[in-house]
Amino acid sequence: MSAEDRVASTTQETRRVRVHRFKRDDGPAHVDEHEVPVGARTTVLEALRWIQLHEDATLALRHSCFHASCGTCGVRVNGRERLACVTPLADVGGGTVTVEPIANLPVLNDLVVDMTSFVERFPEAHAIVRDSEFLPQADVPVDLGAFERFEDCIECGLCLSACPVSATDDSYVGPAALAFAQRMLEEDPGTVDRDALLDWADQDTAAWRCHAAFECTEACPSNVRPAQRIMALRKDLRRRRRDQGRAIPEVGSEDPT
Amino acid sequence: MRRSSPHVLIIGGGGTGGALAHDLALRGMQVTLVERGEFTSGTTGRHHGLLHSGARYAVNDKESAVECIEENTLLRHIAPGSFEENDGLFVAITDEDMAYLPAFLAGCEETGIRTQVLQPDEALRLEPMLNPELKVAVRVPDATMDAMRMPLRFFATAKANGAVLLNYVDVTDLERGGGVVTGARVRDVVTGRESTIGADLVVNATGPWSEQVAHMAGVDVPIRPSPGVMLAVRGRLCNMVVNRLHASGDGDIVVPQRALSVVGTSSWVVEDPDDLGVPQDHVQRMIDEGSMLVPAVREAPFRSAWSAARPLIGSKDDADSGRELSRTFKTIDHAVDDGLEGFVTITGGKGTTLRGMAEVCADVVGRKLGVDEPCRTRETVLLPHTAVFAA
Amino acid sequence: MSERRTEDQTPSGVEEILRVRSAEGPVERKSPGPTAWFDVRRRGTGHFAFSLNRITGLGLVFYLYLHLAVLSQLLGGEAAWNGFLETATTPLFLGLDVLLVFGLLAHGLNGLRVALIGSGFVPNRQKALFYTLMTFGAILLIYSAIHVFTAEG
Repeated sequence: MSAEDRVASTTQETRRVRVHRFKRDDGPAHVDEHEVPVGARTTVLEALRWIQLHEDATLALRHSCFHASCGTCGVRVNGRERLACVTPLADVGGGTVTVEPIANLPVLNDLVVDMTSFVERFPEAHAIVRDSEFLPQADVPVDLGAFERFEDCIECGLCLSACPVSATDDSYVGPAALAFAQRMLEEDPGTVDRDALLDWADQDTAAWRCHAAFECTEACPSNVRPAQRIMALRKDLRRRRRDQGRAIPEVGSEDPT
Repeated sequence: MRRSSPHVLIIGGGGTGGALAHDLALRGMQVTLVERGEFTSGTTGRHHGLLHSGARYAVNDKESAVECIEENTLLRHIAPGSFEENDGLFVAITDEDMAYLPAFLAGCEETGIRTQVLQPDEALRLEPMLNPELKVAVRVPDATMDAMRMPLRFFATAKANGAVLLNYVDVTDLERGGGVVTGARVRDVVTGRESTIGADLVVNATGPWSEQVAHMAGVDVPIRPSPGVMLAVRGRLCNMVVNRLHASGDGDIVVPQRALSVVGTSSWVVEDPDDLGVPQDHVQRMIDEGSMLVPAVREAPFRSAWSAARPLIGSKDDADSGRELSRTFKTIDHAVDDGLEGFVTITGGKGTTLRGMAEVCADVVGRKLGVDEPCRTRETVLLPHTAVFAA
Repeated sequence: MSERRTEDQTPSGVEEILRVRSAEGPVERKSPGPTAWFDVRRRGTGHFAFSLNRITGLGLVFYLYLHLAVLSQLLGGEAAWNGFLETATTPLFLGLDVLLVFGLLAHGLNGLRVALIGSGFVPNRQKALFYTLMTFGAILLIYSAIHVFTAEG
């Protein structure tokens, strides 16, 4: 729906919101319930901040940009990975809303996860700016070269949370890291060390660990399509191996060279 | 063990706090920064991501304009790869807008902001989605930043240089004795435990919350939280920043953010920076004004609408809407203003001027603590933002 | 600069916060574990296929064990084997046979899909591939089911 459709009168009702709570040294995790007044457009993040402001100032949240650009507000809403800032409660079905932190990363407190392990899986410091493919008919001034834009991936971790392989295997680098590697290979043949990236991807814990569940692509709020990129990466790896005359090793075998 | 360098406690983990932590760490001071939520979760992370050329202020607020263009140039050098360096356009739609053009060009000339005047056909070749009725466009060195990730580089570098950055630590009170602020009473949100952090100097870098924190020290600061609404729609409708060529008004900027377009902003004044609301008539205004610049805004699918509070400096008697208050920044040494030692407030400003604000404040801090190190932030290239998560 | 840092004592309040945060202790890792395989509510086709593969895989391994146990009946001589064959033709058993065929078809055809996608041959058509292969499998299943229940002897 367009922005115009959104500008309508509000209705006042409440929703039951159940929030996962956890403080270090304060016992096991538990769930708190709140009745939150909501309007037609209230988002999950707005509901959580209402709880923080009016009912429980100790509730800890991650958020920053409020428009799906920073990727910090990832949570699981009724079991599905969503960005809280752009998830209207109206989209979550009519009943109780349960909010939990995203999965497969350590929980620091309440809904806040520790992104250190997420970031560490990436193969190298990422360049986050690339050429813009939007408005290709535009005439770019010579002195600018090409219009740039930030990479789609907002490092939100929703893909890692949704991945069923990550649920059982911590050593898997995960969809975001692999998608990033594939983007670098796709984007910049000149400035990127292709061999190093492909070596990194060519491991049991990397490109070969994926089992094609495609949940990462379903969960991604930013159109990265990590699953398709992992498959494209495998195609590159297959070609490289063929060119180098090596067979594809079995999963779990020793160093294939 | 004797502490050999003075300890500065910075309250506030927005861009200003992060940049200050970076500057002070480079000057060899021991720095602790406390932020009650996630870094940049206050005002800093919420803005549309404009790296100001300063052209918006070239006519009415030349001090801000000069600050902006200087910092604009510097930031591209110390944070390479953190900007979409596509420039911006100031677009005249009405005759009234055209009347503003001479003063605009003169103001930019005076403040050192490069301009290039474009006729409608030239402008439309650059940005095909512009309102085809435009009368003239002026190209300026605007750019787009990721509003969280760029400031986060200051945090990352500060941390690597020894600053201790504590998010999820909430300041509940300031400790004072004999006219000196000696530290802060804090609650670690991660565990719920309370403790006291002692410091040789406490800096209040909390933006629109500045007054709340200042009151903990028993002093006042003339800061009014002045929120504005922003609207994000799906579709990258322009690659350059698109501004309306006029003095200033609601909805007069469209900033591309990845595959979205952000329209901003409006202005009103509140008492409580935590409870801003998102007035729907303001959102409607974003749609209406934004589509004057880029007509596709009107039908583009909705992504988000939110509010962010600017910290505007001005006394309570000043203008009601907040827009007339200056956008410059201010360092307040409370020893001078209020006879209270050990407490400094840095406030005002814009996302673009974070480094410059920090330099001025760090100079004051250095002077007060007898640390005679020069500022090194103009030439120090920042670490990538991901380094803030380094163990 | 860093030399000066190591001489400094971390301020006491800060030290305590850092110590508590880094201590060994309950840091939750929210991982569903293998139960994630069974949660197909509001999940995509790909996840359903993944779960189906996991579950049929386990089922087939279990069947393999059963099959070997059954074959060991042969060691008991002709009488034992004939006794087994009587049970093997009861409707319940025939039903289980159909279930076996289902497992083989689902796992095999989906495996074919995973191989095609996972090797990068057909990366962009995973949903279409799933529906096509499963439809083909369903037809085969119905055909086999009819034969299992109506065959003589």
